[in-house]
Amino acid sequence: MTHLPWFSTRRLLGGLIAVVAALLLLGLPGLVNSYQLFLACLVMTMATAGLGLVLIMGWSGQIVLAQAGFMGVGAYGTTSLVALGLPWPLAVLLAGLVAALIGVAIGLPATRLRGFYLAIATLAFAELMLRIFIEAEPITGGIAGLVVTPVVLGNLDVGGSRWYLCLGLAAVTALAVWRIGRSGLGRRLRAVRDADVAVGSLAISATRAKLLAFALSAFIGALAGAAYAQVLTYLTPHIFGLTLLIELLIVAFLGGVSYVGGPFLGAVVVIGLRELLQDIGSWQRLAFGLVLALVVGFLPRGLASLRSRIGAARRRRADTSTATPQARDVTAGVAS
Amino acid sequence: MTVLDLSGVDVRFGGNQVLSGVDMQAAAGFTGLIGPNGAGKTTVFNAVTGYVRPTAGQIRIGGQPVPPGGPVPVARLGVRRTFQTPRLVGELDVLSNVLTGLDSELTRGHGLLEFLGISRRARAARSRAVELLGAFGLADAAGEPVANLPLGSQKIVEVARALASRPSLVLLDEPAAGLSAADVDRLVEPLAEIGRADGLAVVVIEHDLEVVSRLCPRVAVLHFGRILTEGPPAQVVAHPDVVTAYLGASVAAVHP
Ligand SMILES: Nc1ncnc2c1ncn2[C@@H]1O[C@H](COP(=O)(O)OP(=O)(O)O)[C@@H](O)[C@H]1O
Ligand SMILES: [Mg+2]
Repeated sequence: MTHLPWFSTRRLLGGLIAVVAALLLLGLPGLVNSYQLFLACLVMTMATAGLGLVLIMGWSGQIVLAQAGFMGVGAYGTTSLVALGLPWPLAVLLAGLVAALIGVAIGLPATRLRGFYLAIATLAFAELMLRIFIEAEPITGGIAGLVVTPVVLGNLDVGGSRWYLCLGLAAVTALAVWRIGRSGLGRRLRAVRDADVAVGSLAISATRAKLLAFALSAFIGALAGAAYAQVLTYLTPHIFGLTLLIELLIVAFLGGVSYVGGPFLGAVVVIGLRELLQDIGSWQRLAFGLVLALVVGFLPRGLASLRSRIGAARRRRADTSTATPQARDVTAGVAS
Repeated sequence: MTVLDLSGVDVRFGGNQVLSGVDMQAAAGFTGLIGPNGAGKTTVFNAVTGYVRPTAGQIRIGGQPVPPGGPVPVARLGVRRTFQTPRLVGELDVLSNVLTGLDSELTRGHGLLEFLGISRRARAARSRAVELLGAFGLADAAGEPVANLPLGSQKIVEVARALASRPSLVLLDEPAAGLSAADVDRLVEPLAEIGRADGLAVVVIEHDLEVVSRLCPRVAVLHFGRILTEGPPAQVVAHPDVVTAYLGASVAAVHP
């Protein structure tokens, strides 16, 4: 039923769309002006960071409010390591590992917390990271800021290099997250979320799975941060504050926090909104907060879920038989 | 040979003594555990699988005492269980749910190979899961999100998940409750077959006495946290104490 024959018009159409989209994305620097290309870079960067949230918030079901901080670690880490003379890819990898370690450090106490308490604890760590960005002046330049050395690929110009960097990171991350979703780790994370009581009886360590999710999503956040630094070209600590966090949550939730395609949809909307709202200044944060509340309130599983929801409704109408929807199980404690 | 051996097991929650001196053995093959609601049957499973710690007594699995540290170390000994209400991952399809029963084997060292799509162990796991779904007549539903399945099929998926890793001891908590007659057949026959083929020790909590007598040559009866009697099903259900236990206190008051 989910297996299409290897040749079908639907497959052909899907393949055609994918090829056209890939060609458009690869040829984008020649198709749009430099400002539009800058916006497209932002979309890819935000989507990458959102992919990390798919792992930890979508699949493992933990509310973690530190992704903006991890982007900061990636941005500052990469920029300062490059300033020390490291090649950019190596600097990104190292900054990512540092973020992953911080992720595990946050995760260790956090594996004992749930829901609201976990959210607050991770938010506190995010504040701490922000504080460190401000105070660690020799590395971050403090509130005065830090200039980012642009990466140039081959004989491309800076804008083009930046685009292929952001596109490449987003594509590789999306592919990796998609693979994780279909592998044992993806299953274990969802089991930790939905079948909390049962995981232990399957010899699956919930703590280990959660820590892996913390490390991976922090690593991905740092990758996105490294790209973000390239896009912004100038870093100040407050870039990685509450506004970015709220934007990232919209990116993750608007598209649907369990779907690999979700953050791309969410990122387009968020960057679009940023453009529309840029004149209202500090009201912007309020507006984003409102959007987030609306999304979580009315569309908790995001836009990408609409398709399967419509499909399910159609199936229900076609066959009003015995399907029992299984409620998300949140009961903790002893098995029964 | 005895796979599961409980001797003198007590479980107490606060002032509530739920199990008192439970002695019970299970060898390869099927063992029934019956008794009225609230007798403590599920608590026996919870004690064996590390979900609750007995306040007294000894539980041995394959001759070894139950290790401390909760459910994971017990499961690593090759123990699997199901739950009275199925605990599946609704969003994942049926095949993936069965695969979660095999994922702990992929964790150590094989996660990366599986991620790259080149793990032989992951392929073996998949074919084992497919084989089990076939045996239980769920092959057509393999790609369906498990939340879309009726309760009866969900319970069968949970049994398949418990069997997937070829454990040595399997504990099934009311596997036939809420199943239609057709579903019961779909469950019982393959279960008996796989149990025999894999040489499993299976303990089944079940209210449906027909299911119990089809599967289990021996049955233990639990009542108010004590084992009342133990033996072949036909003999056990005729036992006067069992009749009293099931008919309730009113009869007991008349015939003390
Ligand atoms: N975690 C627990 N805390 C307190 N009481 C419990 C707990 N688990 C079970 N009980 C009590 O133990 C008794 C037996 O429960 P259970 O083992 O589920 O019975 P059964 O499975 O035979 O119906 C019940 O009275 C129940 O309320
Ligand atoms: Mg019970």
